[in-house]
Amino acid sequence: MTLANPSSSSGPAATPTASTAPPVAPPAVEAKALRKDFGPIHAVDGIDLALPPGRIYGLLGPNGSGKTTLIRLLTGLASATSGEARVLGVAMPSRENLARIGYMTQADGIYPELSVWENLRFFAALYGQTDRAEMIGILKLVELDERLNTPALNLSGGMRRRLSMACALVHKPAVIFLDEPTVGVDPALRVQFWEHFHRLSADGATLLVSSHVMDEADRCDELLFIRDGHVLAQGSPAELRERGGTDNLEAAFLKFSAQTAEGQESAR
Amino acid sequence: MNARRVSAVFVRIVAQFRRDKRTLALLFVAPLAIIALLGWVLTSSSATNVRLAVVNESSQQSVGQAVATRIEAALSGQPTVILDRSITDDASARKALEDKTVDMVVIVPANFDANNRRIEILTLGLNPTAEFSSLSVVQKALVDELAAQAGAVMPTIDRATVYGSPNATELDTLAPVVVGFFVYFFVFILTGISFLRERIGGTLERLLATPVSRAEIVLGYSLGFGFFATLQIAVVLAFVIGRVSVPALGPIPEFGIGLGVQMTGNPLIAYLLVLVLGLGAVSLGIFLSTFARTEFQILQFIPIVIVPQGLLGGFFWPIDQLPDLLQPVARILPVTYAIDGLRQVMIAGADLSSSQVLLDLGVLAAIAAVFGVLAAATIRREVA
Repeated sequence: MTLANPSSSSGPAATPTASTAPPVAPPAVEAKALRKDFGPIHAVDGIDLALPPGRIYGLLGPNGSGKTTLIRLLTGLASATSGEARVLGVAMPSRENLARIGYMTQADGIYPELSVWENLRFFAALYGQTDRAEMIGILKLVELDERLNTPALNLSGGMRRRLSMACALVHKPAVIFLDEPTVGVDPALRVQFWEHFHRLSADGATLLVSSHVMDEADRCDELLFIRDGHVLAQGSPAELRERGGTDNLEAAFLKFSAQTAEGQESAR
Repeated sequence: MNARRVSAVFVRIVAQFRRDKRTLALLFVAPLAIIALLGWVLTSSSATNVRLAVVNESSQQSVGQAVATRIEAALSGQPTVILDRSITDDASARKALEDKTVDMVVIVPANFDANNRRIEILTLGLNPTAEFSSLSVVQKALVDELAAQAGAVMPTIDRATVYGSPNATELDTLAPVVVGFFVYFFVFILTGISFLRERIGGTLERLLATPVSRAEIVLGYSLGFGFFATLQIAVVLAFVIGRVSVPALGPIPEFGIGLGVQMTGNPLIAYLLVLVLGLGAVSLGIFLSTFARTEFQILQFIPIVIVPQGLLGGFFWPIDQLPDLLQPVARILPVTYAIDGLRQVMIAGADLSSSQVLLDLGVLAAIAAVFGVLAAATIRREVA
């Protein structure tokens, strides 16, 4: 557990999960000194995480802050320059472990020529999901069950997003990474997405949702503010507001950013 | 290796292309159209007449004229020669060549005499191949004339070949080449572009977030494109080997569909050769898609990957006649082995007991395996 900002006035004692009940279950998602460099750029600059299961974590930060790279490291899609990533106790990358992980990418990641059903069936087969009722169930949930034979090409942007989500959830994963799932999704559907995320977490799944929209942050159980490959702060939305001394998460984010910058400045 | 995941990739590729009618048409109609065109050109190019003029420029007028007259006489006996007697000097002959009213002029030059028995043959020089074939007409006329003067009877030559028929046309030897080449070309392009679309469309990222392995992806792709290659090979081979005659109807004269090229050996072995070649092309397409960022860049591989195989693989020249430095290059190209194997099977009737065919199959399989490993190795190359 890390607070990336040791110079913060709140001090190490305020480390969020330390103030909440200590986790009983082993962390669902873990990172130790995780680092990824692209040439001179530190996309992920030594991140430590230990996220207990069954909650929704919001990964918040501006574009280019390292959210996607962090998710790719945690899912094993990118290889870390150094450090370690574990999901459900298994070191990533692990192909077998991917059967327990869902990943909704920023791009839709579906085949435009294939129908809704063909797309879903394809990913279901790769994940080893053969239960047809489950597959229909997930399509009902994203309200695509009446468009089984529509080619993805002819779906609206929001429908494609929904199909993409269905493909990521078809195998009932225990840990779900969602990279900006609500981009291009209309407000009504966005509400539905979040309702569904809460249902999944109530069923025991761990969700890590990235976003650069702060108004989604309040729907998460816990937030990680990310900037320049660092975790600026971590805690529940309420905690972060309090520590930021503002009732606006955006302002809190900016404040944590500024504090880190100062910290780096004084360190020099 | 999980059979269900491999079959999921296979089924997906078939489903994708089933929807893409235009690409399907390209797979089946395009090779047939091109092969039909080739067959038409190669079989119906009738020997055209050669329009000739004989000009005497000799300073020894009478000697030159005597020679010119004899050449004219010899030429007029040739069935494909049309003599133009209105041209009598070098200048008007050159003009006639430029105006394309004659194809060739035989000139008895100014310095022609009993000691300098050289005549000149003048052509336009724009189309060496056609002019060379006209040249043989003149040579034949002169030989005939000489033989007649000597009272000798020239023997007629009967050609025989160990394999196939001496009447085998260019088409018969080109057909195997065309079959192999098309399959290679189309499979390479389609796989390259399909896989590139996986890379840039974000679906590869998505695939790699599932438990599917790289080997399973390559195998699924090979099965999927192997399936379409199978259909394509069947259609192309049937078209090349078979021939159906369509009777004349109204203004349309009788014509044939299919080339009716000889197939001495077992078509299944020919098919096997092309299939193994095609599987290598699948892996090559996946491998090279790593080095392309757009579909356009896949097309840029055509001059690098496809054209050299066409030039060196035995399409135009036998490998043995290539320059020394190029021979080893030709011997690492898969198309070379496919063409050799196909010729062995189609013309020489070789079967799987032939060490040559086994060698060709073995090399093709080895090339496919090497590129299969390379393809699998590049799949996880980070997109970043």
